[in-house]
Amino acid sequence: MNDADDVLGQVTSPVLAEFAPKPRSGVLRSIWKDPTGRSGLIMLVFVLFVILIGPVIFPFDSQSFGSSAASILQPPSRAHWMGTTELGQDVFRQFLVGGRISLYVGLSATLIAMVLGAGLGLVSGYYAGWRDTVLMRITDFFLVLPTLPLIIVLAALFGQSILVTSLVIGMTSWPQTARIIRSQVLSLRERPLVQRVRSLGAGDLRIMRKHILPKVAPLILANLALVLSGAVLAQAALAFLGLGDPVQVSWGTTLHNAFNSGAMSQGAWWYVMTPGAGIVVMVLAFSLVGHSLDRILNPLLRGDR
Amino acid sequence: MSLRYLAKKLATLAVTLYVTVSFNFLLFHVLPGSPVQLLARSGHFDAAARAQLVKLFGLNHPLIIQYFIYLKNMLHGDLGFSYVYRQPVTSVLGGAIGNTLLLVGTATLVTIIVGVWLGVMAASRAHSLTDATITITSLGLWSMPDFFTGMILIFICGVWTHVLPISGLVTPGLVTGTWGHYADIGRHLVLPALTLTLVNAAEFSLISRNTLVDVMVEDYMLTARAKGLSRRVIVWRHALRNATLPIVTATALYVGMILGGAIQVEAVFSWPGMGLLIYNAVVQRDYPVLEAGFLIFAVAVIATNFISDLLYQVLDPRVRRT
Amino acid sequence: MSLLEIDDLSVDYRIGSQMLRAVDHVSLRVERGEAVGIVGESGCGKTSLGLSIPFLLPTNAAISSGTVTLAGHELVGMSERELNRLRWTSVAFVFQGAMNALNPVQRVDRQILEAITAHDPRVERDVANARVLELLDLVGIAPARSKSYPHEFSGGMRQRAMIAMALACRPSLLIADEPTTALDVISQAQILALLSTLRRSEDLSVLMISHDLAAIKRVCDRIVVMYAGIMVEMGTTEEVLGRHGRPAAAAHPYTLALIEAHPDLHGERLLAQGLPGHPPDLSKPIVGCRFADRCPSVMPICRTEAPPTVTLSAGHVAVCHLAAKGAR
Repeated sequence: MNDADDVLGQVTSPVLAEFAPKPRSGVLRSIWKDPTGRSGLIMLVFVLFVILIGPVIFPFDSQSFGSSAASILQPPSRAHWMGTTELGQDVFRQFLVGGRISLYVGLSATLIAMVLGAGLGLVSGYYAGWRDTVLMRITDFFLVLPTLPLIIVLAALFGQSILVTSLVIGMTSWPQTARIIRSQVLSLRERPLVQRVRSLGAGDLRIMRKHILPKVAPLILANLALVLSGAVLAQAALAFLGLGDPVQVSWGTTLHNAFNSGAMSQGAWWYVMTPGAGIVVMVLAFSLVGHSLDRILNPLLRGDR
Repeated sequence: MSLRYLAKKLATLAVTLYVTVSFNFLLFHVLPGSPVQLLARSGHFDAAARAQLVKLFGLNHPLIIQYFIYLKNMLHGDLGFSYVYRQPVTSVLGGAIGNTLLLVGTATLVTIIVGVWLGVMAASRAHSLTDATITITSLGLWSMPDFFTGMILIFICGVWTHVLPISGLVTPGLVTGTWGHYADIGRHLVLPALTLTLVNAAEFSLISRNTLVDVMVEDYMLTARAKGLSRRVIVWRHALRNATLPIVTATALYVGMILGGAIQVEAVFSWPGMGLLIYNAVVQRDYPVLEAGFLIFAVAVIATNFISDLLYQVLDPRVRRT
Repeated sequence: MSLLEIDDLSVDYRIGSQMLRAVDHVSLRVERGEAVGIVGESGCGKTSLGLSIPFLLPTNAAISSGTVTLAGHELVGMSERELNRLRWTSVAFVFQGAMNALNPVQRVDRQILEAITAHDPRVERDVANARVLELLDLVGIAPARSKSYPHEFSGGMRQRAMIAMALACRPSLLIADEPTTALDVISQAQILALLSTLRRSEDLSVLMISHDLAAIKRVCDRIVVMYAGIMVEMGTTEEVLGRHGRPAAAAHPYTLALIEAHPDLHGERLLAQGLPGHPPDLSKPIVGCRFADRCPSVMPICRTEAPPTVTLSAGHVAVCHLAAKGAR
């Protein structure tokens, strides 16, 4: 990792400012160059492969149980690569299928959070004035409410389907995004270019779309990865607490079963470590990419000082 | 800090509390499928209990009256009636708040100390191997769900070895004096507190490190170097003093997260606190308890934010205005 | 023996996978009681040169050759502890943009006190506090304001506080990096007057780094002109910049361009001329004169051979082919 690049992001003398590396086109390439981002991307590819291809190669039949007592809670073996559950089911196959739900809920929740958060941030920052004050008061209120407890309460009240879970997680993740986007938009609207276009009579929506959105896009992207990792964690926690969709098998649900079936006191570590590792790798992959993006894109934003 | 500022802050606090309580009412009493209404109408309760419920919540009256009754009850410290325990919620809460405070308090203290210390280490050796190791380990730990970390610790300390108890507050049937009792609680506290600390110290160390790195490249840091001050003085007196401000702000946000973690950890370790209470309430659909639990958590976060705001005023001379 | 002797100094920066030489074999001297100004545009290496003296360079920079001798002490290669003993007591630094150069959460008197006690731990509290007030008085800050925080000072006051702090340990050399940038014109004049006065009253040598020729003219006895990492001209301010009744005798085209770019307030109303183009990319090897691309008097030899150092008169040198031609 080249520390010089980092030092340059924070200039201490005018000499260095001139020699700062120019931004590369191709965000993906930049992420690949950064060791943090690269590990994240590799993990991501691995996870996606497991989730998307895995179940095709190793289909999981939720209806097939172990036939005899001997096949319950078996440690990893050649027959069952990751052992069996208390019902004699193959843990490995369950792992392959479980990832899909986690990712799906994570993505839908993030989409909702992004649309809400970025949209509100955009409107709030662009119009400023009373609209900003009102929206920010609302945002501040939601920021204060503790996230997981709120998610739990909403899930308990409104049901456990995937749709509800996604909505509930999405509705609690938007405040952070809104704040970040808003402050960037606020500073952008003071730029001479925007002022000029406004005075020429360009419509608000057009300005937002053509001038502000492209500049805010990198910020949204960096935030998206981090929100996504948070959403996956939230879904896992919900499922573990028994608030996930009871029909679908997700990694959190598997852990819920592992815990509640007494498999832990029997020392069935494979039952716990497999889905758990899956969650960790998926979340870590997204956070690494998110942090890397943040570092790549941030100096550019800060450089506008 | 001026009196007027304090007054303004208190007013904001009151408004926020009011809005939170009303929001709670909205969730639990107004929205379609509101559990209170449903349960009262279902055959769950006998006539006497149902009559009591109706009277307590004023379910015969229009919504707006129910709202005022609700507010009145809140001000009197009446948090409702548990469906499951057939007792007022306040007596169900019992020692739960204290237990959660013990757990979360211990974890927070250790988290701040360890997190900041690691952050300082990583930042003062920024971009070195130490820094990279600490940063990557922190990111890795942050990616682990609280409950999963707990389960791993249970395996290591409770199943494969038996060094520490893995559930409850005390050992059932243990007869010992006061000190023995405290020691017993202490032993039970270790694993749950450790779980919470591991995940959150990681986040804290990341925040501290990044804040410090930002501070380290400020101009006044170069001035301190130029003055010929020792490295230790530079880091602790100049850098940290300035980094404390964003860290204090981060702590406020972090409280919301640790409460979410507390629910998971208490569920995993059967620690009899607010988190376990909420978890059981969800499982048993005991909505009054759930409602009260959520309210208490929300108020805790609001109060912490309020205190950290005031703290920031005291710490940052740039913000102090007459 | 000169107070400060910089001999053949080079400073390299590691940027990404490239090595960049910001200061290329520069030599200069500062005598006791002298004020020397280093002038050049942004990126010419003057700040790096200044920072390298008390060795305050960032971690990705290194002194790759040369020596820096201060009052007989060889600074390059000294341990951090030894350097810390010399910092502030022998050489003090006043930074540009005192906006942020003072710790925002510490009172001003506390910061000056720290400088004193750090180098004399056994000093008595009263004596130290008295010295703090004495220093502030020296720069014209009333004792009533000593307990203020930096953000409560105006830009000019902050710069003056920085100067007061710099004098705390009675250094022999004061390095001032762009002391007047980001200040309004009145404050600029005050600071420059202060520096001139203090030079004499505190028996100080000053090394002033600036892109403002007028400031250097006001304060400094000698001037060093830098471009793209090397020194291109050096001489007394009087000779190089001229004064009333005496035209500038600058020989290097870059110096002449700098002078043209600074409108003379007292003299004729000349049009300020900018200089088109920009400095060369120092990450690539340079053939010939670094100024060739922008030089209005460029000759073929400038692009192929590095220019020689030409002595024009006592103490006045220029690194230029044109000057070499003229001198013959």
